[in-house]
Amino acid sequence: MIRKLLPFVPIVAFAATLALMQWIAGMPVTRLWLHSILVAAAVMVLVRFLPWDRWLFRVRIGSVFYQASLFVLFVRHFALIFAVEARRALIAQRMASPSRYGAGWYGSLTHAVAAFFGRALLRTERFYASLVARGIGG
Amino acid sequence: MSLVLEVEDLAFGFTGQGEVLHGISFRLGEGESLGVLGANGSGKSTLLWCILGLLKSRGRVRMFGEPRRRRSLARVGVVFQNPEDQLFMPRLVEDVALPLVNRGVSRNEASARAMRALEEAGLAHAAQRPASQLSLGERKRAAIAAALATSPELLILDEPTAELDGRSSRRLREELTRLRVARLIATHDLSLVRAVCGRVLILNNGRILAQGPAEEILGDSALLEGAGLT
Repeated sequence: MIRKLLPFVPIVAFAATLALMQWIAGMPVTRLWLHSILVAAAVMVLVRFLPWDRWLFRVRIGSVFYQASLFVLFVRHFALIFAVEARRALIAQRMASPSRYGAGWYGSLTHAVAAFFGRALLRTERFYASLVARGIGG
Repeated sequence: MSLVLEVEDLAFGFTGQGEVLHGISFRLGEGESLGVLGANGSGKSTLLWCILGLLKSRGRVRMFGEPRRRRSLARVGVVFQNPEDQLFMPRLVEDVALPLVNRGVSRNEASARAMRALEEAGLAHAAQRPASQLSLGERKRAAIAAALATSPELLILDEPTAELDGRSSRRLREELTRLRVARLIATHDLSLVRAVCGRVLILNNGRILAQGPAEEILGDSALLEGAGLT
């Protein structure tokens, strides 16, 4: 059960940070955090449990549904890229600083997070380039 | 022999980083195979991205006798260095069929052509599996199969043998040798160029160091050493 809920950790962290920032800034804590979680959960269900790939080959090319199917498949691929890159960054961070919370642990974590964004950006750029070069989307 | 690709005085620089490519000019004819050789960071991949219009460069790029347009890319097959960045469908056969469907080929025909392309690449057994479950060598071959399924007139490959083991590399070399389509191959793999390319262009720090027949260029060991290739 806990494993199944793991994909929600980043969005819950994001929503919590959002609410915390509103609170620190002295703003009213709106329901934006809740909306973020609900939208993420809805998208996750849509992306993971509906057979978009099958539908893509059944609908009219260029139709709204075709575009939507492609979009969802891209989102799914991006999510995979983020997951893979996050795992790599964390492994590299663990190797660089084996003792948890010890000297350099926070520093290496900061660098790992920065590297994650850099690498994820690079890979999404490559993915986009490959789509354009293959005449898909772009 | 008609020209499939003409590059004239191409130059490119990333914002705030100066010039990465300077005055690159070459031509590629129908059925020809040109190897772009260069050490890491010499500008090979950037050159390919500029040719494809993925980076905005100066100079002229003509494809199939006319200035490169978006529709020109429909006649080009591209295989990037990291195949996992271009295979994203849940089944390999769908990855190969998608560009065909997107170009208006009927779904049945697209699937049949995709299966044929996978059979020719020796990957029929993997057609119903996702690309992520294949070895790197298989993914590279799948990416090439996907590019070839669209019957391109020009095939552009970026480091096709990078990170492959000896057997996968040899198999890929043999496949590329068999092709009759014009090929532009960016690599630092001398054995691949020796086996596949009739002509070679050497890039060094974004400039053309030499270009000419493969035998002549690859026979010049001082030149190869100067370019950081040996």
